[in-house]
Amino acid sequence: MAYYVNRRSEMTWWEKSYLPEIIKGMWLTSRRFFHNLFGFIPFFLGTAKDRRIMTVYYPEEQVQYPIAYRGRPVLAQNEDGHPACVACGLCEIACPAYCIHIEPGHNTGKQNQYERWPDVFNIDYAICIFCGNCEEACPEEAIFMSDDCEISMLDRKKMLYTKEQLLTPVADLQKRIEFTRNMYAKWNY
Amino acid sequence: MWVDLIITLVKIFFILAITVGFFAPVLTWVERKQSALMQDRIGANRADIMGFTALGLFHIIADALKMFTKEDFIPDGANKVLHTLSPIIALVPALVTFAVVPFGGQYTLFDKEVNLVISDLDVGLLFVFAIASLATYGYVIAGWSSNNNWSLLGSMRTASQMISYEVTMGLTIIGVLMVYGTMKLTEIGAAQEDFLRWGFFLQPLGFFMFLTASIAENKRIPFDAPEAESELVAGYFTEYSGLKFGMFFMAEFVEMVTIGAIMTILFFGAWHIPFLTTATLLSWFDFLGTTGSNLVVMLIHVGVFFAKVVFFIYLQMIIRWTLPRFRYDQIMKLGWKILLPLSLANIFVTGLVILALN
Repeated sequence: MAYYVNRRSEMTWWEKSYLPEIIKGMWLTSRRFFHNLFGFIPFFLGTAKDRRIMTVYYPEEQVQYPIAYRGRPVLAQNEDGHPACVACGLCEIACPAYCIHIEPGHNTGKQNQYERWPDVFNIDYAICIFCGNCEEACPEEAIFMSDDCEISMLDRKKMLYTKEQLLTPVADLQKRIEFTRNMYAKWNY
Repeated sequence: MWVDLIITLVKIFFILAITVGFFAPVLTWVERKQSALMQDRIGANRADIMGFTALGLFHIIADALKMFTKEDFIPDGANKVLHTLSPIIALVPALVTFAVVPFGGQYTLFDKEVNLVISDLDVGLLFVFAIASLATYGYVIAGWSSNNNWSLLGSMRTASQMISYEVTMGLTIIGVLMVYGTMKLTEIGAAQEDFLRWGFFLQPLGFFMFLTASIAENKRIPFDAPEAESELVAGYFTEYSGLKFGMFFMAEFVEMVTIGAIMTILFFGAWHIPFLTTATLLSWFDFLGTTGSNLVVMLIHVGVFFAKVVFFIYLQMIIRWTLPRFRYDQIMKLGWKILLPLSLANIFVTGLVILALN
């Protein structure tokens, strides 16, 4: 269906005289100006907890990201120091950008003694698209999207994170784990 | 004799210090911060000295350092003499205008009449416009001597715009002249002691037209077709760098102060506080003696005057960051088809009213 813009709209005399409309615009901008100017003051005086303005002085001041935020994916590290990952490779398959590289290690050979762990687990953040498919695919609660998004570097090669860099204690990821359990509802707890 | 000279020198120094030394640099900072606040941004705050940023005030120093140390570039085929001369021609009129701008009334200090104006010309108002028109040469020569098409286009636009709006400006002023019957800026200022005799109430239409025309004279948004970034790179100062560019930049900000000062004197009661005559103020501080009370009143008046100037600068900045740029034909239409007939009608109506009241 074609949509036609009426380009011949007649202006009223009120609009044609410019002045009222200009004053309206100036009222809007000066209202924003004073709102932002005095929005700090209660905050600095300590009478209000938050500044009433939304703009954040970014590097000095950071906001708490919502729990659903998808930052860089990290590996969960159990209390015993081993990764929760069993190197099944599902995240590698699920990854649409092919940024995950896993080389599984050997287990001891004895049954039920240990899970096996990945020897190599690399995520290249230069390729990662932060879709969260790896997290959804993981059957072992091993890979999670953290709230860290500050991964810019001067050298692209440094963005390839190895297993040691990726490991994050489970305790730090507790909130996200709860969230994924609710979100994907795969686990029958 | 010597005392007069010293007083004049002090006044010149004061004016230079407050325009070039204070207003021009601080306004660059204000412009950034104010536009940022208006658009929910933060604005310049990265320049720091030992980790101390002072709300971005150090950007002024950083800017000055940058301009001093930049290469002074003159393009091939440019006329070197004119290219160097034009920023000076653009900046000087903005400063010279202040010679006749009174920033306070007359006070008796140590049995000596002190008139807070550098030179109290009989044709002060005419002088202001004569000098302000000279600035056009600076801009035209700047674009012409750069050997650059965009610069030339910018300067052509400058010339046509400034000439068009000077007509309106001059005709608007005639209304003020008819009301106050004098061209001396000090007398126009003194005549507005009564709040209801402020130019704004006697010449409301004239005020708005003068505001429009003076913003157009200063070539700021919404009338910035001469330097239109999106069309002409930077207009007439495209080929300027370093301190020469800085002079154009400074001329714009000094002109803002000049416009604010002229508007304050013509329309907003100059240095007077509403409903407070100078005599009342003097009687309040009578206990300080003649010199003391005069000194206090002088400081109050200068403060009030510059507060009003700051208000007008704020108004110009609000307008700059609110309105989009006029198209070139719209500028001409507004100037010649709307403002010119309106200003002529304004003179006519003013004359009729004066005739009827007499």
